[in-house]
Amino acid sequence: MSFSRILILAICFLFSVSTVYAAELVKIENAWSPEAPPVAKVMAGYMKISNLSNKDIKIKSANSNFFTKVEIHRTELKDGMFTMIKQDNLIIKAKSHIELKQGGLHMMLMGKLKPMREGSIIPVKLTFNNNETVEVNLKVKSDNRPQMKCGSGKCGSM
Amino acid sequence: MSSEKRSVKNIILPISIGAISLVIGLWLSQQMLLNNNDTKIPKNLDATVLPNARVLAGFNLINHDKQPFTEEQLKGQWSFLFFGFTNCPDVCPTTLKVMQSVWKTLPTKPGEVGHPKLYFVSVDPDRDKTEIIKSYIQYFHTEFIGVTGKANELDKLTNQIGILYGYDDKSDGSDLEYTVNHSAQLILIDPRGRMRAVISPPHIAKTIAANFQTIRTFYGDE
Repeated sequence: MSFSRILILAICFLFSVSTVYAAELVKIENAWSPEAPPVAKVMAGYMKISNLSNKDIKIKSANSNFFTKVEIHRTELKDGMFTMIKQDNLIIKAKSHIELKQGGLHMMLMGKLKPMREGSIIPVKLTFNNNETVEVNLKVKSDNRPQMKCGSGKCGSM
Repeated sequence: MSSEKRSVKNIILPISIGAISLVIGLWLSQQMLLNNNDTKIPKNLDATVLPNARVLAGFNLINHDKQPFTEEQLKGQWSFLFFGFTNCPDVCPTTLKVMQSVWKTLPTKPGEVGHPKLYFVSVDPDRDKTEIIKSYIQYFHTEFIGVTGKANELDKLTNQIGILYGYDDKSDGSDLEYTVNHSAQLILIDPRGRMRAVISPPHIAKTIAANFQTIRTFYGDE
Protein backbone atom coordinates (compact mmCIF):
# COMPACT_ATOMS: atom_id res chain seq x y z
CA MET A 1 0.00 0.00 0.00
CA SER A 2 1.53 3.27 -1.11
CA PHE A 3 2.00 6.20 1.23
CA SER A 4 -0.55 8.32 -0.66
CA ARG A 5 -3.12 5.56 -0.34
CA ILE A 6 -2.52 5.36 3.41
CA LEU A 7 -2.77 9.15 3.58
CA ILE A 8 -6.08 9.13 1.72
CA LEU A 9 -7.44 6.45 4.02
CA ALA A 10 -6.25 8.42 7.03
CA ILE A 11 -8.01 11.55 5.75
CA CYS A 12 -11.11 9.48 5.06
CA PHE A 13 -10.99 8.20 8.61
CA LEU A 14 -10.59 11.68 10.07
CA PHE A 15 -13.30 13.02 7.79
CA SER A 16 -15.78 10.33 8.76
CA VAL A 17 -15.01 10.73 12.47
CA SER A 18 -15.46 14.48 12.29
CA THR A 19 -18.84 14.37 10.56
CA VAL A 20 -20.70 11.63 12.39
CA TYR A 21 -23.19 12.73 15.02
CA ALA A 22 -24.66 9.81 16.83
CA ALA A 23 -27.16 9.42 19.57
CA GLU A 24 -27.84 5.90 20.71
CA LEU A 25 -30.37 5.10 18.04
CA VAL A 26 -29.87 7.79 15.40
CA LYS A 27 -26.76 8.58 13.39
CA ILE A 28 -26.23 11.64 11.20
CA GLU A 29 -23.43 11.86 8.65
CA ASN A 30 -22.14 14.28 6.01
CA ALA A 31 -24.13 17.25 7.25
CA TRP A 32 -23.47 20.30 5.10
CA SER A 33 -25.04 23.40 3.65
CA PRO A 34 -24.19 25.04 0.33
CA GLU A 35 -22.94 28.57 0.76
CA ALA A 36 -25.73 30.91 -0.31
CA PRO A 37 -25.59 34.51 -1.57
CA PRO A 38 -25.21 36.77 1.52
CA VAL A 39 -28.57 38.36 0.71
CA ALA A 40 -30.42 35.02 0.78
CA LYS A 41 -32.60 34.53 3.83
CA VAL A 42 -32.95 30.81 3.39
CA MET A 43 -30.38 28.08 3.11
CA ALA A 44 -30.56 24.35 2.54
CA GLY A 45 -29.19 21.56 4.71
CA TYR A 46 -28.18 18.14 3.47
CA MET A 47 -27.23 15.01 5.43
CA LYS A 48 -27.73 11.30 5.85
CA ILE A 49 -29.88 10.27 8.82
CA SER A 50 -29.75 6.62 9.90
CA ASN A 51 -32.20 4.95 12.22
CA LEU A 52 -30.22 2.29 14.11
CA SER A 53 -33.18 1.14 16.15
CA ASN A 54 -35.71 -1.62 15.53
CA LYS A 55 -38.63 0.79 15.37
CA ASP A 56 -39.69 3.33 12.74
CA ILE A 57 -39.03 6.89 13.89
CA LYS A 58 -40.22 10.33 12.87
CA ILE A 59 -38.51 13.70 12.95
CA LYS A 60 -40.56 15.61 15.52
CA SER A 61 -38.85 18.97 15.25
CA ALA A 62 -35.74 20.75 14.06
CA ASN A 63 -34.36 24.09 15.17
CA SER A 64 -31.26 26.23 15.04
CA ASN A 65 -30.15 29.31 16.95
CA PHE A 66 -29.02 30.83 13.65
CA PHE A 67 -32.38 30.59 11.87
CA THR A 68 -35.92 31.48 12.90
CA LYS A 69 -37.37 28.26 11.55
CA VAL A 70 -36.18 24.87 10.32
CA GLU A 71 -38.32 22.50 8.28
CA ILE A 72 -37.84 19.43 6.16
CA HIS A 73 -39.08 19.79 2.59
CA ARG A 74 -39.10 17.60 -0.43
CA THR A 75 -38.46 19.03 -3.89
CA GLU A 76 -40.75 17.31 -6.33
CA LEU A 77 -40.74 17.73 -10.05
CA LYS A 78 -44.26 17.57 -11.47
CA ASP A 79 -44.83 18.30 -15.16
CA GLY A 80 -41.62 20.28 -15.29
CA MET A 81 -42.56 22.41 -12.29
CA PHE A 82 -40.66 22.26 -9.01
CA THR A 83 -42.91 21.98 -5.99
CA MET A 84 -41.79 22.06 -2.37
CA ILE A 85 -43.70 19.71 -0.13
CA LYS A 86 -43.32 20.20 3.62
CA GLN A 87 -42.60 16.91 5.37
CA ASP A 88 -44.35 16.91 8.71
CA ASN A 89 -44.36 13.21 9.23
CA LEU A 90 -41.15 12.04 7.72
CA ILE A 91 -40.65 8.43 8.73
CA ILE A 92 -37.26 6.78 8.89
CA LYS A 93 -37.87 3.07 8.87
CA ALA A 94 -36.24 0.73 11.37
CA LYS A 95 -32.62 -0.09 10.53
CA SER A 96 -32.86 2.20 7.54
CA HIS A 97 -31.77 5.69 6.53
CA ILE A 98 -32.88 8.72 4.56
CA GLU A 99 -30.76 11.08 2.51
CA LEU A 100 -31.30 14.79 2.41
CA LYS A 101 -29.71 15.81 -0.86
CA GLN A 102 -29.94 18.36 -3.65
CA GLY A 103 -33.13 18.20 -5.66
CA GLY A 104 -34.87 15.89 -3.17
CA LEU A 105 -35.42 15.89 0.56
CA HIS A 106 -33.74 18.88 2.16
CA MET A 107 -33.60 20.79 5.37
CA MET A 108 -34.96 24.27 4.79
CA LEU A 109 -33.25 26.78 7.05
CA MET A 110 -35.45 29.88 7.05
CA GLY A 111 -34.93 33.38 8.38
CA LYS A 112 -31.15 33.61 8.56
CA LEU A 113 -30.10 35.55 11.68
CA LYS A 114 -26.38 35.96 11.02
CA PRO A 115 -24.09 35.97 7.99
CA MET A 116 -22.83 32.59 6.83
CA ARG A 117 -20.00 31.85 4.49
CA GLU A 118 -17.79 28.97 3.52
CA GLY A 119 -16.38 27.44 6.69
CA SER A 120 -19.22 28.64 8.91
CA ILE A 121 -20.92 26.08 11.11
CA ILE A 122 -24.70 25.89 11.46
CA PRO A 123 -25.77 24.05 14.61
CA VAL A 124 -29.10 22.26 14.25
CA LYS A 125 -30.96 20.27 16.87
CA LEU A 126 -33.11 17.44 15.63
CA THR A 127 -35.66 15.83 17.90
CA PHE A 128 -37.18 12.48 17.06
CA ASN A 129 -40.43 10.95 18.28
CA ASN A 130 -38.51 8.35 20.28
CA ASN A 131 -37.30 11.36 22.31
CA GLU A 132 -33.80 11.16 20.99
CA THR A 133 -32.17 14.47 20.29
CA VAL A 134 -29.20 14.86 17.98
CA GLU A 135 -27.21 18.04 17.71
CA VAL A 136 -25.54 18.30 14.35
CA ASN A 137 -23.18 20.89 12.88
CA LEU A 138 -23.70 21.66 9.22
CA LYS A 139 -20.53 22.79 7.48
CA VAL A 140 -21.07 25.59 5.02
CA LYS A 141 -19.30 24.81 1.75
CA SER A 142 -19.06 26.93 -1.35
CA ASP A 143 -18.71 23.92 -3.58
CA ASN A 144 -22.21 22.53 -3.69
CA ARG A 145 -21.39 19.24 -5.29
CA PRO A 146 -22.40 16.37 -3.04
CA GLN A 147 -19.82 14.61 -0.92
CA MET A 148 -18.90 11.09 -1.89
CA LYS A 149 -18.70 8.46 0.74
CA CYS A 150 -15.26 7.50 1.92
CA GLY A 151 -14.34 3.92 1.30
CA SER A 152 -13.35 1.66 -1.58
CA GLY A 153 -10.48 4.00 -2.28
CA LYS A 154 -12.68 6.99 -3.13
CA CYS A 155 -12.93 9.97 -0.87
CA GLY A 156 -13.82 13.62 -0.98
CA SER A 157 -16.13 15.50 -3.25
CA MET A 158 -17.35 14.22 -6.58
CA MET B 1 -30.01 16.88 -95.01
CA SER B 2 -27.85 19.84 -94.19
CA SER B 3 -30.87 21.83 -93.13
CA GLU B 4 -31.88 18.98 -90.79
CA LYS B 5 -28.41 18.97 -89.34
CA ARG B 6 -28.61 22.70 -88.86
CA SER B 7 -31.98 22.44 -87.12
CA VAL B 8 -30.64 19.75 -84.78
CA LYS B 9 -27.66 21.99 -84.04
CA ASN B 10 -30.07 24.85 -83.41
CA ILE B 11 -31.93 22.72 -80.90
CA ILE B 12 -28.84 21.31 -79.13
CA LEU B 13 -27.63 24.71 -77.94
CA PRO B 14 -30.85 25.87 -76.25
CA ILE B 15 -31.40 22.41 -74.77
CA SER B 16 -27.91 22.26 -73.29
CA ILE B 17 -28.28 25.79 -71.93
CA GLY B 18 -31.64 24.80 -70.49
CA ALA B 19 -30.24 21.62 -68.98
CA ILE B 20 -27.26 23.41 -67.47
CA SER B 21 -29.55 26.12 -66.06
CA LEU B 22 -31.77 23.44 -64.61
CA VAL B 23 -28.84 21.70 -62.92
CA ILE B 24 -27.50 25.01 -61.60
CA GLY B 25 -31.00 25.98 -60.46
CA LEU B 26 -31.53 22.69 -58.66
CA TRP B 27 -28.11 22.92 -57.06
CA LEU B 28 -28.75 26.52 -55.94
CA SER B 29 -32.17 25.75 -54.52
CA GLN B 30 -30.75 22.75 -52.68
CA GLN B 31 -27.99 24.95 -51.26
CA MET B 32 -30.57 27.52 -50.20
CA LEU B 33 -32.64 24.82 -48.56
CA LEU B 34 -29.56 23.51 -46.79
CA ASN B 35 -28.71 26.96 -45.50
CA ASN B 36 -32.25 27.66 -44.49
CA ASN B 37 -32.10 25.81 -41.20
CA ASP B 38 -35.03 27.60 -39.69
CA THR B 39 -37.37 24.69 -39.89
CA LYS B 40 -34.72 22.02 -39.35
CA ILE B 41 -33.35 20.99 -36.01
CA PRO B 42 -29.94 19.73 -34.96
CA LYS B 43 -29.71 16.08 -33.92
CA ASN B 44 -28.55 14.30 -30.78
CA LEU B 45 -29.57 16.90 -28.23
CA ASP B 46 -30.81 16.68 -24.65
CA ALA B 47 -32.91 19.73 -25.37
CA THR B 48 -36.22 20.31 -27.09
CA VAL B 49 -35.63 22.54 -30.10
CA LEU B 50 -38.60 24.30 -31.65
CA PRO B 51 -38.65 23.61 -35.41
CA ASN B 52 -40.22 27.04 -35.83
CA ALA B 53 -38.70 29.59 -33.47
CA ARG B 54 -41.44 31.37 -31.52
CA VAL B 55 -41.59 35.15 -31.88
CA LEU B 56 -42.25 36.71 -28.49
CA ALA B 57 -45.02 39.23 -27.93
CA GLY B 58 -44.27 42.33 -25.88
CA PHE B 59 -43.71 42.34 -22.11
CA ASN B 60 -42.48 45.07 -19.82
CA LEU B 61 -40.18 44.03 -16.97
CA ILE B 62 -37.13 45.58 -15.27
CA ASN B 63 -33.61 44.30 -14.77
CA HIS B 64 -31.74 44.38 -11.46
CA ASP B 65 -30.50 47.91 -12.25
CA LYS B 66 -34.12 49.02 -12.71
CA GLN B 67 -33.59 49.38 -16.46
CA PRO B 68 -36.34 48.20 -18.84
CA PHE B 69 -36.28 44.55 -19.74
CA THR B 70 -38.52 43.86 -22.70
CA GLU B 71 -38.47 41.57 -25.73
CA GLU B 72 -35.97 44.05 -27.26
CA GLN B 73 -33.26 43.17 -24.71
CA LEU B 74 -33.42 39.57 -25.91
CA LYS B 75 -32.26 40.58 -29.39
CA GLY B 76 -28.61 40.64 -30.46
CA GLN B 77 -27.31 37.59 -28.59
CA TRP B 78 -28.33 34.14 -27.38
CA SER B 79 -30.03 34.25 -23.97
CA PHE B 80 -30.91 31.71 -21.31
CA LEU B 81 -33.95 32.39 -19.14
CA PHE B 82 -34.36 30.72 -15.75
CA PHE B 83 -37.29 31.37 -13.44
CA GLY B 84 -37.15 31.22 -9.65
CA PHE B 85 -36.97 33.32 -6.51
CA THR B 86 -34.31 34.23 -3.98
CA ASN B 87 -35.99 32.46 -1.05
CA CYS B 88 -35.52 29.19 -2.89
CA PRO B 89 -32.89 27.18 -1.02
CA ASP B 90 -32.55 24.01 -3.06
CA VAL B 91 -33.33 24.17 -6.76
CA CYS B 92 -32.42 27.77 -7.64
CA PRO B 93 -28.90 27.87 -6.17
CA THR B 94 -28.20 24.39 -7.54
CA THR B 95 -29.28 25.39 -11.05
CA LEU B 96 -27.43 28.72 -10.90
CA LYS B 97 -24.27 26.89 -9.79
CA VAL B 98 -24.70 24.64 -12.80
CA MET B 99 -24.98 27.70 -15.04
CA GLN B 100 -21.86 29.12 -13.40
CA SER B 101 -20.06 25.94 -14.56
CA VAL B 102 -21.62 26.26 -18.03
CA TRP B 103 -20.17 29.78 -18.28
CA LYS B 104 -16.72 28.42 -17.34
CA THR B 105 -17.03 25.74 -20.02
CA LEU B 106 -18.11 28.00 -22.89
CA PRO B 107 -15.38 28.76 -25.45
CA THR B 108 -16.45 32.41 -25.67
CA LYS B 109 -15.83 35.23 -23.23
CA PRO B 110 -18.30 37.95 -22.25
CA GLY B 111 -18.59 40.51 -25.05
CA GLU B 112 -17.46 38.08 -27.76
CA VAL B 113 -19.72 37.09 -30.63
CA GLY B 114 -21.90 34.16 -29.67
CA HIS B 115 -21.47 34.60 -25.90
CA PRO B 116 -24.88 34.18 -24.29
CA LYS B 117 -26.57 36.06 -21.50
CA LEU B 118 -28.32 34.55 -18.51
CA TYR B 119 -31.44 36.17 -17.14
CA PHE B 120 -32.73 34.98 -13.76
CA VAL B 121 -36.37 36.02 -13.65
CA SER B 122 -37.80 36.25 -10.14
CA VAL B 123 -41.46 35.29 -10.09
CA ASP B 124 -41.74 36.54 -6.49
CA PRO B 125 -41.88 40.33 -7.02
CA ASP B 126 -43.47 40.95 -3.60
CA ARG B 127 -40.32 39.85 -1.75
CA ASP B 128 -37.63 40.08 -4.42
CA LYS B 129 -36.84 43.75 -4.85
CA THR B 130 -34.27 44.62 -7.52
CA GLU B 131 -31.48 45.24 -4.96
CA ILE B 132 -32.01 41.78 -3.47
CA ILE B 133 -32.11 40.11 -6.88
CA LYS B 134 -28.94 41.92 -7.95
CA SER B 135 -26.81 40.80 -5.02
CA TYR B 136 -28.35 37.32 -5.19
CA ILE B 137 -27.67 36.69 -8.88
CA GLN B 138 -24.27 38.39 -8.97
CA TYR B 139 -23.07 36.04 -6.23
CA PHE B 140 -23.22 33.30 -8.87
CA HIS B 141 -21.72 35.31 -11.75
CA THR B 142 -21.20 39.02 -12.24
CA GLU B 143 -22.41 38.63 -15.84
CA PHE B 144 -25.76 37.14 -14.81
CA ILE B 145 -28.71 39.51 -14.84
CA GLY B 146 -31.68 39.50 -12.50
CA VAL B 147 -35.13 40.45 -13.77
CA THR B 148 -38.52 40.95 -12.23
CA GLY B 149 -41.63 43.06 -12.65
CA LYS B 150 -45.34 43.28 -12.04
CA ALA B 151 -47.25 40.03 -11.90
CA ASN B 152 -49.27 40.72 -15.05
CA GLU B 153 -46.11 41.57 -17.02
CA LEU B 154 -44.36 38.43 -15.70
CA ASP B 155 -47.37 36.45 -16.90
CA LYS B 156 -47.09 37.99 -20.38
CA LEU B 157 -43.62 36.46 -20.63
CA THR B 158 -44.20 33.15 -18.82
CA ASN B 159 -47.49 32.35 -20.57
CA GLN B 160 -46.01 32.48 -24.05
CA ILE B 161 -42.98 30.34 -23.25
CA GLY B 162 -44.76 27.71 -21.17
CA ILE B 163 -43.34 28.58 -17.75
CA LEU B 164 -45.59 27.94 -14.75
CA TYR B 165 -45.36 29.34 -11.26
CA GLY B 166 -47.55 29.65 -8.21
CA TYR B 167 -47.50 30.26 -4.47
CA ASP B 168 -48.20 27.96 -1.55
CA ASP B 169 -49.87 29.40 1.55
CA LYS B 170 -49.38 33.00 0.47
CA SER B 171 -52.03 34.56 2.66
CA ASP B 172 -50.80 35.29 6.17
CA GLY B 173 -48.65 38.25 5.14
CA SER B 174 -45.52 36.89 6.78
CA ASP B 175 -42.24 37.44 4.97
CA LEU B 176 -41.17 33.83 4.84
CA GLU B 177 -44.28 31.79 5.24
CA TYR B 178 -44.82 30.90 1.64
CA THR B 179 -42.90 29.08 -1.00
CA VAL B 180 -42.96 29.63 -4.74
CA ASN B 181 -43.42 26.71 -7.05
CA HIS B 182 -41.87 27.25 -10.42
CA SER B 183 -40.98 25.57 -13.67
CA ALA B 184 -37.55 24.07 -13.85
CA GLN B 185 -36.79 24.49 -17.54
CA LEU B 186 -34.16 26.73 -19.01
CA ILE B 187 -35.48 28.60 -22.03
CA LEU B 188 -33.04 29.39 -24.83
CA ILE B 189 -33.76 32.53 -26.84
CA ASP B 190 -32.06 33.06 -30.21
CA PRO B 191 -30.31 36.30 -31.26
CA ARG B 192 -33.50 37.47 -32.98
CA GLY B 193 -35.27 37.34 -29.63
CA ARG B 194 -37.27 34.23 -30.47
CA MET B 195 -37.80 31.18 -28.28
CA ARG B 196 -35.60 28.48 -29.79
CA ALA B 197 -35.23 25.64 -27.27
CA VAL B 198 -36.30 24.28 -23.90
CA ILE B 199 -33.80 22.52 -21.65
CA SER B 200 -35.41 20.35 -18.99
CA PRO B 201 -33.91 19.08 -15.73
CA PRO B 202 -31.84 17.40 -14.49
CA HIS B 203 -29.51 20.23 -15.40
CA ILE B 204 -25.95 19.08 -16.05
CA ALA B 205 -23.35 21.71 -16.92
CA LYS B 206 -21.46 19.73 -19.58
CA THR B 207 -24.67 18.73 -21.36
CA ILE B 208 -26.08 22.25 -21.35
CA ALA B 209 -22.80 23.73 -22.64
CA ALA B 210 -22.50 21.11 -25.41
CA ASN B 211 -26.16 21.46 -26.43
CA PHE B 212 -25.89 25.21 -26.53
CA GLN B 213 -22.79 25.07 -28.73
CA THR B 214 -24.53 22.64 -31.10
CA ILE B 215 -27.65 24.79 -31.36
CA ARG B 216 -25.60 27.98 -31.73
CA THR B 217 -23.43 26.50 -34.48
CA PHE B 218 -26.49 25.12 -36.28
CA TYR B 219 -28.50 28.34 -36.38
CA GLY B 220 -25.69 30.89 -36.26
CA ASP B 221 -25.26 34.01 -34.18
CA GLU B 222 -27.54 36.29 -36.18
